[in-house]
Amino acid sequence: MQPGSISPRAKIGVERPADFDSYWRDVVAAASAVPLDATLTPLPDRSTPDVDVYELHYTSIDNLRIAGWYCTPRQERVAGPYPGLVISPGYISEPLIPKSWSRLGYAALALAPRGKLRSNARFNPGYPGLLVHNIVDRDTYSYRGFYMDAYRGLDALLGRPEVNPARIAVYGSSQGGALSIVLAALRSDVVKVAVVGAPYLCGIRDAARLTHSYPYEEINEYLRAHPDHEQRLEETVAYFDGLNFAPSISCPILVHLGTADDVCPPETGLALYDRLDAPKRLVVSDGSGHDAGAHWLGDVVARFLADGLRGER
Amino acid sequence: MTGVDFWRRVDEDLARQPMRPALELMPRHSTGEFSVYALSLTSVGPYRMFAYLSIPRGEGPFPAVLEAPRYGSVNNPPHWNDRLRYVVLTPMHRGQRLADQPFAAEYPGLMTQGIEDPDRYVMRAIVADCLRAAEYLFFLDRVDPARIAVRGTDLAVLIAARRPRFRALVVEAPYLHRIDEARQATDAYPLEELNDYARCHADGEAALARTLALFDPTAHAPDVTATTVVGIGDGHHDNREWLAPLLDAFPTPPEERVLTFRGGVDADWFDAWLAGQLGAAPMSRFSAVAR
Repeated sequence: MQPGSISPRAKIGVERPADFDSYWRDVVAAASAVPLDATLTPLPDRSTPDVDVYELHYTSIDNLRIAGWYCTPRQERVAGPYPGLVISPGYISEPLIPKSWSRLGYAALALAPRGKLRSNARFNPGYPGLLVHNIVDRDTYSYRGFYMDAYRGLDALLGRPEVNPARIAVYGSSQGGALSIVLAALRSDVVKVAVVGAPYLCGIRDAARLTHSYPYEEINEYLRAHPDHEQRLEETVAYFDGLNFAPSISCPILVHLGTADDVCPPETGLALYDRLDAPKRLVVSDGSGHDAGAHWLGDVVARFLADGLRGER
Repeated sequence: MTGVDFWRRVDEDLARQPMRPALELMPRHSTGEFSVYALSLTSVGPYRMFAYLSIPRGEGPFPAVLEAPRYGSVNNPPHWNDRLRYVVLTPMHRGQRLADQPFAAEYPGLMTQGIEDPDRYVMRAIVADCLRAAEYLFFLDRVDPARIAVRGTDLAVLIAARRPRFRALVVEAPYLHRIDEARQATDAYPLEELNDYARCHADGEAALARTLALFDPTAHAPDVTATTVVGIGDGHHDNREWLAPLLDAFPTPPEERVLTFRGGVDADWFDAWLAGQLGAAPMSRFSAVAR
């Protein structure tokens, strides 16, 4: 397949486990049973005349303390309540302090799920490592906790008095896109709009077959070392596949991807888009790689998020 | 203190410190076509740093690529396509994962660590780590010494200038160039780290200007002997006009690649350019697996 050609699509698929919904109901219940114990620490050295910056910590499933960067517009410049925005990081990226989003008026939380710096004191599988950590056991697989860290991060955001809980958006690219999909699906009652770039963890097993780039290459390497684990691996990742979360999303969602993405094959993003049963928009950038056209899409993303929250009170 | 003195002392510090490399095969990353090793070696400090080393199976000698570390906590292992064609050395400078004991870098935070004093600035040690990696690569017996390249951000310019034994230099995305000017026009990290520092320190502006000038690739480019390509953007801080002082500083005018910002297209172009310089076949990462 050359850049510019994004077919065939039919290669991507994953079975939805019969107990997918009950599995996640149980995981969410276990995560929600852990007291959040959210704490906010002001960071005056990182704050500006326009934006207050904080470090947020909260407790997630397995009693892990999770960190995030939290920014709000200065109250004296822009009065609250503010729309809330959860920004999720890429696989090897550390979250950036989201000052620019607060200058646009958001109370913005940039998550650092388990394994990221500041959230890795007790869980640190490394990079490479995270994607295949306990990948033959859905109950201890890395992304079980990782997804819940995002889920509980949203709870922490909703607990802030300056945040308008009726105006919540999620945004991220690559792994950030995967987490945004999960949040939009599991919190469809709360999330009002989502933007997903170059979505990762969609059609996981097929994605690994379509690339030699990390992080999916971790799966190829794992299976070279443990060919007898293939069936158990496939059983596990089906519970964590964005394609199986997609039908639960009801909010407007923008998906953008590049036709030459070697990291998250474009076929998998298209498969996600096909499975969405929500108001949706697709932007395909010809020849773009894992950047997914980001160079041109800053204003498009900001407008889509703002439009999605317009009318919400 | 001149830049010449500053960098001469970095070289002297490195020369005094034995490298003491140690290799350990990483079976998970190795195949019948290449072997990947965990390499540990000692840089200034002393500090034990880490690198992935991938070597194609066979006699060699092979062309080689040194990957300058990105600004971030993680560098991926060498890409499959590169492992097939080159000896690849991918160092983690101090503070990055796999080289984060006893010093773990913070993001944000690393960019300004010790910046008030050039001799204590963490970037001095980071450049030294990269130079140490280059020194290791030059003496591998399965590397063709006439076909060694370095690629990355403009950190690669410093490496190529301080160790002028490279055949080719790929500067995909300059960011150290005029960084003290560039940071004043943005609130985006990582450059915002510098603004945070300037806001909170009475003499911050002067310290930033003094220290960062030593790391501007324009000051180093005159010593580059490698055939060079530089990526040219379309923004205020990466366009042709902004980069002109750097481009003009090379002893031989570098090739200028006007970026399309379509990542697949740009990556393939740089891959083909480098392969041409090193006598290898171009390989697209997107097409690494037949569809």
